[in-house]
Amino acid sequence: MTAPVLEVEDLRVDLRTPRGTAHVVNGLSYTVGAGETVAVVGESGSGKSVSVLALLGLLPARTATVTGRALLDGEDLLTMSPERLRQVRGPGVGMVFQDPMTSLNPVLTVGRQLTEGLRAHGTPSKAAARARAVELLGEVGLPDPGRAVDRYPHELSGGMRQRVVIAIALSNSPSLLIADEATTALDVTVQAQILDLVERLRTEHGTGVVWITHDLGVVAGIADRVLVMYGGRCVEDGTVDDVLERPVHPYTRGLLGALPDLATDDDADLATIPGTPPPPTDLPPGCVFWPRCPVRGDTRCETEQPPLAVVGAGGRALPHRAATWCAEREAS
Amino acid sequence: MTQLPTPGATPAAPPPSEPLPTAAPPRPRWRETLGLLARNPTAAVSAVVLVLIVLMAVFDETLAPDGPNDQDPSLQLQPPSWDHPFGTDEFGRDILSRVVLGAATSLRVGFLSVAFALVVGTLIGLLAGFYGRWVDDTLMRLMDVLFAFPAVLLAIAIVAIRGAGPANAILAIGIVYVPIFARVTRASVLGVREEVYVRASRSVGASDWRLITRHVLPNAAPPIIVQTSISLAFAVLAEAALSFLGLGPRRPNPSWGLMLADGRGFIDQAWWYTVFPGLAIVVTVLCFNLLGDGLRDVLDPRQRTLMAGGGR
Amino acid sequence: MTSPSTGAPDVLVSARGLEVHFPVRSGGALRRTTGLLRAVDGVDLDVHRGETLGLVGESGCGKSTLGNALLRLVPPTGGTVTFDGADVTRMGRRELRELRRRAGMVFQDPFASLDPRRTVAQTVAEPLEVHGLHPGRQARAARVRELLQLVGLDPGVAARYPHEFSGGQRQRVGIARALAGEPDFLVCDEAIASLDVSVQAQVLNLLRRLQRQLGLTLLFISHDLSAVRHVSDRIAVMYLGRVVEVGPASAVAAEPQMPYTRALLSAVPLPHPQLERSRQRIVLRGDVPSPSRVPSGCRFRTRCPDVFAPCPDVDPALQPVGSAPGHVAACHLHGVVGTPVERERPDAPVDAGDPAA
Repeated sequence: MTAPVLEVEDLRVDLRTPRGTAHVVNGLSYTVGAGETVAVVGESGSGKSVSVLALLGLLPARTATVTGRALLDGEDLLTMSPERLRQVRGPGVGMVFQDPMTSLNPVLTVGRQLTEGLRAHGTPSKAAARARAVELLGEVGLPDPGRAVDRYPHELSGGMRQRVVIAIALSNSPSLLIADEATTALDVTVQAQILDLVERLRTEHGTGVVWITHDLGVVAGIADRVLVMYGGRCVEDGTVDDVLERPVHPYTRGLLGALPDLATDDDADLATIPGTPPPPTDLPPGCVFWPRCPVRGDTRCETEQPPLAVVGAGGRALPHRAATWCAEREAS
Repeated sequence: MTQLPTPGATPAAPPPSEPLPTAAPPRPRWRETLGLLARNPTAAVSAVVLVLIVLMAVFDETLAPDGPNDQDPSLQLQPPSWDHPFGTDEFGRDILSRVVLGAATSLRVGFLSVAFALVVGTLIGLLAGFYGRWVDDTLMRLMDVLFAFPAVLLAIAIVAIRGAGPANAILAIGIVYVPIFARVTRASVLGVREEVYVRASRSVGASDWRLITRHVLPNAAPPIIVQTSISLAFAVLAEAALSFLGLGPRRPNPSWGLMLADGRGFIDQAWWYTVFPGLAIVVTVLCFNLLGDGLRDVLDPRQRTLMAGGGR
Repeated sequence: MTSPSTGAPDVLVSARGLEVHFPVRSGGALRRTTGLLRAVDGVDLDVHRGETLGLVGESGCGKSTLGNALLRLVPPTGGTVTFDGADVTRMGRRELRELRRRAGMVFQDPFASLDPRRTVAQTVAEPLEVHGLHPGRQARAARVRELLQLVGLDPGVAARYPHEFSGGQRQRVGIARALAGEPDFLVCDEAIASLDVSVQAQVLNLLRRLQRQLGLTLLFISHDLSAVRHVSDRIAVMYLGRVVEVGPASAVAAEPQMPYTRALLSAVPLPHPQLERSRQRIVLRGDVPSPSRVPSGCRFRTRCPDVFAPCPDVDPALQPVGSAPGHVAACHLHGVVGTPVERERPDAPVDAGDPAA
């Protein structure tokens, strides 16, 4: 295996809120290899978005405390100077968020926004930058890129805007692409186009991808590895087949059970997870899922935090791990 | 026809599957607002000072040390002293007493004119914002015309037509402020009108009247409340200006503007004659403005969430 | 015009040639009408009594406008809607009020659909007040408690304000409000789209239970095909203002007969990695055309992988397709049926829509 593009180690994020300190991310560790897609899955409030905003230094410094390590090509993002971080965003990390309009400037043409990034990070001449911009827009599948380059964001549809954002994110061939619910607001047919595009870029450029989503269907199609977050912790990770086909953690199982299945003609009620996630200001001392767990057992679940431990066959390059006492109980 | 089962026959509804809010019983919204306002020191102090000024205006006769028109020719233009803390004017009248008694006139003009503008302007803004189309076009163009006149000029014109006096000053100032309330209300209503809960209420059959009174107006109110506070400040100033120009309340009964006007002639000999009524105006206007700012913060839902630590 | 119904089922709500066109106005003082936005453009659709009809389509296809137009919450500009035999487009004030009682609506965003300044009890009691049901303070409060219980909420929460609730709980309040007038018909407009996965399942289960328990007729509007498939008896697919395929849920999901439905279904990602890897997606080209510039003939032809000669010239009508009874689609692949496009100059090149766009 080649050196990982991103190596996150024991990432913790605390946010100061009027209701006390919110422990939003609590010890998250993962690596992303070149050309690998890691999906971070969770519901709202699981800390999945905050965990990447923290990496990029995009949390308000006044209220957020970020600890841990996050090595991008060997350089720690968390201890970087703000100037260096600005340099790194762009050539190092591309970002795509849910709402493309948040990353596009409404008063500049698409071309201006693309060339700005290119020229800030190397491409010297205006003409060369423009040519590259047209090329990039073509690459992300925008019809008629020669004309699109002079359009304003509001003249484009949602799917096209998101493609422009991806083009901007990829303009400096970053080694890492971070997408936060990038296709959530899009229709399924457009989503399929975007997923195809990301897949192609990943194989052609060897870009590492962190794909944050709540949609397990998208995960199944795009991810090599999956990380399930709940209550700011990783409760299960492993290959996409391990996690989606052989889930171990009761939360992962619950999530999968709650999905209506398009393929089968099942008339039974959907499985639900009772209750709501714990507030990050008041996490349970033991297993974070304990208060909602349908199979919760002895007092150990309630009081002792389960570590992320290998389940199933060990010794593989990508182990299947879960933070639960259930696996142990099932085994015995 | 669908019949809902009676309570007894309700097939066991599943138990609530989520923990329900267990906080203390909900407080009425206005009490929450007051509580939040109390945590904003500037606004809280302003509110207290304003309450004192209003009390002063209400109990003027009892509070004033002397009668407002008690003349004492031996005490003309006396500087502040123990007997007359604010000094006396050219007729030997006690300025403190006149400031206290002037409060009633100034505030009455301020409150009544703003009340007029509030009622008329909010009604126009509500209709224009809620119904849109030609109602909006007609009413708001009318407001634009009204707004295009310089405020004081408009007030002078109204007083010139109807004659000077407190009632006409109130009407004049009120009319000047109508377009402001209409605009603020319309802008706020335009936002609220499109809210899903208004559509939802319409979908269950609520009438326009019900939509306006139960949903639109309450949710559109915060900017109007802030505007009221700020307009009160301007109205007190406008009253002073009109009185200063001799278009407001008549002599000899005091108002702060009138006192300024009268004191102007003696400004080089008796600074206290203009300074104390002037201070009264400044303090009142400042307090209304600060209270308005405080209310703006408190009534803003985002701020509210932050301060109360509640919300989504 | 081919009617999608064969006459046998008991129809509660029916649309014929329904149109909702919005004028597109230029800015400026004169506000000239410069075009028409055809949000709903000639929809024929029947909702059978007691069924759940799923209405799917991508954003901007007009499914939400259609749902609103059926209840006259958006005024139709053409065609007819009947509700239990009565013409909705011609209803007077009193009839319209009765329609509002008999047809409820559940909205997408549970954070926006509840008035933040009114308590849960006030919100749920509104239909009761409007229609004078259960008069008297006591009776109304009892009814509100009953409704809250019905949707799985603790009646003790009646005095609380919406901001104290989670999204799922708020959506339950919204459902309770919609049920307060004892409606026959419930339109759920993207009612689960803003909820988390596990909460979506709770609300879906609740809707299914209520539908059975109260014998409701449900129009379930959603872009989520899996959810629609799960709750619906029949599915209607919309594209660019038109219903292009209707049929039993199992038939539409398993044997889609219109290329658009096929593409739509194939684009839905499923949570099965093996399946996803082996699956052949039909990736459509380009975006949905603007509803103010609808292509001539079949409106899907600009993106259709199977486009052929008659598509730009004949506006396809719904025709029986497949093996399941009641399965209809508007597609020339099953025989060229429909209205020929009128052209001012017969020799003019075939319209503006470029298939490669």
